[in-house]
Amino acid sequence: MIAAPLVSVDKLKIHFPTKRRGRTVKAVDGVTFDIEPSTTLSIIGESGSGKSTLGRALVCLTRPTEGTVLHDGTDPFRLGRSALRRHRRDYQLIFQDPHAALDPRMTILESVREPLDIVGEIPKADRNAQAHGLLERVGIAPALHERYPHQLSGGQKQRVNIARALTTRPKVLVCDEVVAALDVSVQAGILNLFADIQRDFGLTYVFITHDLAVAAHISDEIAVMYLGQFVEKGLAEAVQETPLHPYTRALLSAEPEPLPSAMRENNRIVLKGEVPSPITPPAACRFHTRCPRAQARCSKDAPDFRQLRPGRWVACHFAEEMLEEAGEKAQAGPAERAGQRQACE
Amino acid sequence: MRLYPHLALVKDVPMTNPARPPLLEVKNVCASLGGADVLRNVNFSVAAGERLGIVGESGCGKTVMGLSILGLASSAFHLRGEIVFEGRNLLDLPAKAMRHVRGREISMIFQEPMVTLDPVFTIGEQICETLRTHFKLARKEAREQAIDALAQVGIPAPAERVDDYPHQLSGGMRQRAMIAIALACKPKLIIADEPTTALDVTVQAQITNLLVELSEKHGTALLFITHDLGVVAETCDRLITMYAGQVVENAGIDDFLARPLHPYSSGLLRSLPRMSKRKTALPSIPGRVPTVAEMPAGCRFEPRCSLAQAPCKAEQSLLPAGEARKVACCRYDELMLPGVLN
Ligand SMILES: Nc1ncnc2c1ncn2[C@@H]1O[C@H](COP(=O)(O)OP(=O)(O)OP(=O)(O)O)[C@@H](O)[C@H]1O
Ligand SMILES: Nc1ncnc2c1ncn2[C@@H]1O[C@H](COP(=O)(O)OP(=O)(O)OP(=O)(O)O)[C@@H](O)[C@H]1O
Ligand code: SF4
Ligand SMILES: [Mg+2]
Ligand SMILES: [Mg+2]
Repeated sequence: MIAAPLVSVDKLKIHFPTKRRGRTVKAVDGVTFDIEPSTTLSIIGESGSGKSTLGRALVCLTRPTEGTVLHDGTDPFRLGRSALRRHRRDYQLIFQDPHAALDPRMTILESVREPLDIVGEIPKADRNAQAHGLLERVGIAPALHERYPHQLSGGQKQRVNIARALTTRPKVLVCDEVVAALDVSVQAGILNLFADIQRDFGLTYVFITHDLAVAAHISDEIAVMYLGQFVEKGLAEAVQETPLHPYTRALLSAEPEPLPSAMRENNRIVLKGEVPSPITPPAACRFHTRCPRAQARCSKDAPDFRQLRPGRWVACHFAEEMLEEAGEKAQAGPAERAGQRQACE
Repeated sequence: MRLYPHLALVKDVPMTNPARPPLLEVKNVCASLGGADVLRNVNFSVAAGERLGIVGESGCGKTVMGLSILGLASSAFHLRGEIVFEGRNLLDLPAKAMRHVRGREISMIFQEPMVTLDPVFTIGEQICETLRTHFKLARKEAREQAIDALAQVGIPAPAERVDDYPHQLSGGMRQRAMIAIALACKPKLIIADEPTTALDVTVQAQITNLLVELSEKHGTALLFITHDLGVVAETCDRLITMYAGQVVENAGIDDFLARPLHPYSSGLLRSLPRMSKRKTALPSIPGRVPTVAEMPAGCRFEPRCSLAQAPCKAEQSLLPAGEARKVACCRYDELMLPGVLN
């Protein structure tokens, strides 16, 4: 038996009105994909490409303009108010901006305990104990528990947010840039915590991140977004090793490497041209105005987002060609490529 | 002194010319909160055109340090020591003179754009406000410069976006708007507190290139607080590592990455996620930073350091370790700590 996807997104569009009549920001503009239970999907991509908006829609904090987001086969927006409220407990989001997410009038402990207080199923002493336990796991010392958000550093606030989201142990947790504000050692601890919780309780994660190393480390699958659409999606290693969309290639090549200057490869693909506005995205292939590989047809027809290999989706006219080239390269010099990898280790 | 043979691979880092006078000198700065030191004897300097990175444990005092330079740290902190900028001690500067320095000579890009951007004014109004505080500009001119500044940081359709309110922008665009405000007055020193944390890598590269270009062309000095060691490697000349309110290492960036001298620095480098170890537990430094009440009298990292020995129980201060390098660890010359290459 094939389990139903936990989250199923179909032709999702989310548009925002602008001041000028008739013009809308096409934040998410036609995205279709499924998320399997107990897996981790990372969404990477251009700033402003609609990742956070999509993330909010996944946990029904934003209503689709068109299309649907189904949870276990049902549309949460068809639920009654109280059913929707209960449903939301299972679908949580950790916001990109930790400061905006915490109530400034609540102490840290109160903030973390609040979701349990609302549910109100267990005695207060137990709720306190749970909150204490989670704060300890994210490395927030007891001495900070009675403080208010403004008395904490950026990374401390972010960890409080993480603890808060984990209290009710949701089914799906969307994490919007949650580790970016943490130093790499604390980040490692938090990523390990996420992995432990997934192993123990079968959580499903959607990680929105700009850190490609983090995405590669934690996720089963990676999706790449550009101007409101997915341009590539596949298994994490596959996308990382053989990106098949020119935008993904540019993105991967721009990753700053923590290596001494003499050892850094200087093969960055610099994208030319201005970032187009999501109010008036380019016609046909949305990437054609900046694409190093673009040909005449790219400004005439939109490439389909199609499955090249099982689980491997790409929207570029030349994806098959790139796949072939990549195959040849892999045969020509596996040793060479292994050498490059080792340099980073 | 070359302690590390494999570094023969690495080209020499241009060290700051010792003859070049520092633009900013932080001397023995302490920040205390109810009698306990959140910053303790912090020392470092930045010359014109130099780009200094600051990394360190979350909560170790990086933001408080940056805010102190601008006189913006919370009044809960009591500051001691000297922060000398072009011969003047900023800690003694009257409020009025400080306002002139702030934004005009030193500007800061803050960690949390939503805290600094005012939700009731448009992005354009906020840039114009900064410009008009420091320069005599007509409204129209200021608006044009604001649009220009937005274009410089890569915001698409800047003439349309200039009238947006902060909540209408994506996280990354808000951050770029903040950067535009900071750059608008062409300051001598930019303090950037995790300026690219919310940006994708291509926009990040654009912003860091812009900062590098500014420092090379106009001699703008940069104090770059970040957790992203890749960004530091590509942007900065030198780096200081902070732990629990102290500077524990000060080194050229290449030396640091190849051969860190402080166990905390080495621990940071080992925690980086790597392709080859996907889906395995990442090495993280066990334990957490001590709170002020738990602060050890000796080396502040000692309770978490796997290499600690008896002498570590004594207070450690930042001492020269070879040329143009400093470290606060009494065991540094006995240890061969792994960096990014091993
Ligand atoms: N207004 C305040 N009142 C009391 N304590 C504060 C206040 N602001 C910061 N702190 C504390 O001072 C310490 C240093 O904070 P700071 O914001 O400088 O850390 P940071 O190094 O910037 O961390 P991060 O990397 O997480 O941003 C932290 O332990 C924090 O909890
Ligand atoms: N409430 C809103 N009203 C109008 N426009 C909006 C609103 N929220 C988002 N947008 C716009 O939608 C687009 C996508 O924004 P979103 O925040 O989803 O991007 P993102 O991919 O998360 O970017 P980042 O990486 O910078 O956080 C942007 O152009 C943004 O300005
Ligand atoms: S379809 Fe054309 S423009 Fe679009 S990504 Fe592929 S090569 Fe570039
Ligand atoms: Mg976002
Ligand atoms: Mg900070």
